[in-house]
Amino acid sequence: MSDDKKSDSLQPEEIRSTGSPLSANCGLRTDGAASSVPVGSLSMKKPQGFFEERSLPAIEMTAGRLRYLSRRDVLLFGAGAVVALAGGGFLLPQDTLSRLGVRRNMDSPGKEWFLNKALRIDDDVAEALYSRDRRVPNYTKSQITPLKNNYNGATPDPGYISGWNLTLDGLASGLSISLDIRNLLARFSVHEQITRLVCVEGWSAIAWWAGLRFDDLLRAYPPMSQAKWARVESSVNLDASGNSDPYFVSIDLATARHPQTLLATHFNGQPLTVDHGAPLRLLAPVKLGLKNVKAITKLTYVAEEPRDYWAERGYSRYDGI
Amino acid sequence: MSHSTPPANEPNSTSTSLEEPGVLVAKKHHILVRWSHWLNVPILLGLILSGISIYWASPIYQHKPDPITGNFDVAVDIGIWICTHVPGLHHYGSPPDWIYNHMSLGPGMLALALRLHWLCANSFMLNGMVYLAGLVMGGGWRSLLPRRTDLFDALRMLRYYVGFPVAKLVRRKWLHPRFNTKYNALQRAAYFSIPVAGILSVTTGWAIHKPMQLHWLAALFGGYNAARVWHFCLMWVFILFIAPHVILVFADGWDTLRSMIVGWSTRVKRSEPIANER
Repeated sequence: MSDDKKSDSLQPEEIRSTGSPLSANCGLRTDGAASSVPVGSLSMKKPQGFFEERSLPAIEMTAGRLRYLSRRDVLLFGAGAVVALAGGGFLLPQDTLSRLGVRRNMDSPGKEWFLNKALRIDDDVAEALYSRDRRVPNYTKSQITPLKNNYNGATPDPGYISGWNLTLDGLASGLSISLDIRNLLARFSVHEQITRLVCVEGWSAIAWWAGLRFDDLLRAYPPMSQAKWARVESSVNLDASGNSDPYFVSIDLATARHPQTLLATHFNGQPLTVDHGAPLRLLAPVKLGLKNVKAITKLTYVAEEPRDYWAERGYSRYDGI
Repeated sequence: MSHSTPPANEPNSTSTSLEEPGVLVAKKHHILVRWSHWLNVPILLGLILSGISIYWASPIYQHKPDPITGNFDVAVDIGIWICTHVPGLHHYGSPPDWIYNHMSLGPGMLALALRLHWLCANSFMLNGMVYLAGLVMGGGWRSLLPRRTDLFDALRMLRYYVGFPVAKLVRRKWLHPRFNTKYNALQRAAYFSIPVAGILSVTTGWAIHKPMQLHWLAALFGGYNAARVWHFCLMWVFILFIAPHVILVFADGWDTLRSMIVGWSTRVKRSEPIANER
């Protein structure tokens, strides 16, 4: 650019005016009015404030060295760009790649491992953020918003409700306990809360729930001492074409013991309808909606993290929000 | 002779510059600023592409469901419009997905998009810290701070940009306003806003990622749903910044582009009017 030439041509004058080209550096960027003043003296004129812009430190460099540095860094940054492009392309989902015209299957265990690692970090952060004492906000009845039936597949036929039982397994007593909804409602006190349910998809709903505290159930029927997790299961869940598709998630017992984690029996002041998981559903507002299993049929306390329906489909495992 | 670091008062041998013509160069960008600047390109691209894939799962901009198609997503409307009106796209297989097939990783891949989004978001936060460290270590942050004179100077710059094409057409001389600072007021406003937008993207991101544990953060942005809208709008801030940013860098010339790669600029005397108008 002619601009470069211009500064080249200016340079001998700079040297002359300041004696040394290097001492010129601190005062090079002068304002229009003072530009005729020898630049070196400007920096001495007034001490600069902490927030005041400093002039760029300038040095003299041979044209050859500047060319060398430019070539080196452009090549270096170019190589970085190629690596970033390749790395980014490698991480793209197969569907996206095939749309871009990549025929070969780019899925590999390495890619899966790397992405799982990134997801795991996110879950660990969520777990570190969790505190039993941190309550989620409570809302008022005027803030309630509609909650859709978000059964992933078909909504089950209500026929299952009459014979419904909740089975507890992995208890300290070693027994397997079966409770019906009357037992549960008679034994445990019912708590109400108006909280937000947040879906992994991004939508959310503020709803009015009532039910027993999961914590109270854990106290009444203590899990075996090694247990750290609960497997929450609904055997009545259906897939989109109406076939049986048992739904199961993992819940850490720390979350289960949160005072706002309910085994909900009521929605909007009425017993749960089939849409919302009659007669008993999990309501853990500190988790994504997908952990809030409808129509729970079985709770199993286990030491190791159990399988999770959505983690097997590529979502995270802990899902704390 | 070592030129790699700008020595303060080292008696430089003027003799070498007699042998080979020297150039006066100024260190414009710290190396951490340069690396993080370029790393933002793949990271932001990944964030936007995966972000729009996530948006597909629950669009914020909705209308009442269409009685025939059941569609309620404004982005889908745009896709359908494009496929009906743009020649050559009439036979596009899935018009409702056109936008998502072209502006994102694709529809129906929420789990994958979320994973990539977290990966890019974590990289973005790390990269942002590197960038801020570079600004502090290189002292570049001072050049980004807004000044009292900025409003007036920004208007002068706007006048220059608006008048530039007209002046070119009538072959009139149209001088770039003189500034004795590293950036002009418009640049400064842009380069100051972008880190702020980055910080806001990260905070709104956390607000919608952890709306229960960090509910106070969501409340700061007007609640969970509002924070989602904020997060979405901030994407547009980046997109709207990038277009003129790239155009103006190329218009300004190799020296400006090189300074973000090499760090050095030969435009040392900023008080001179830009020469290419002569």
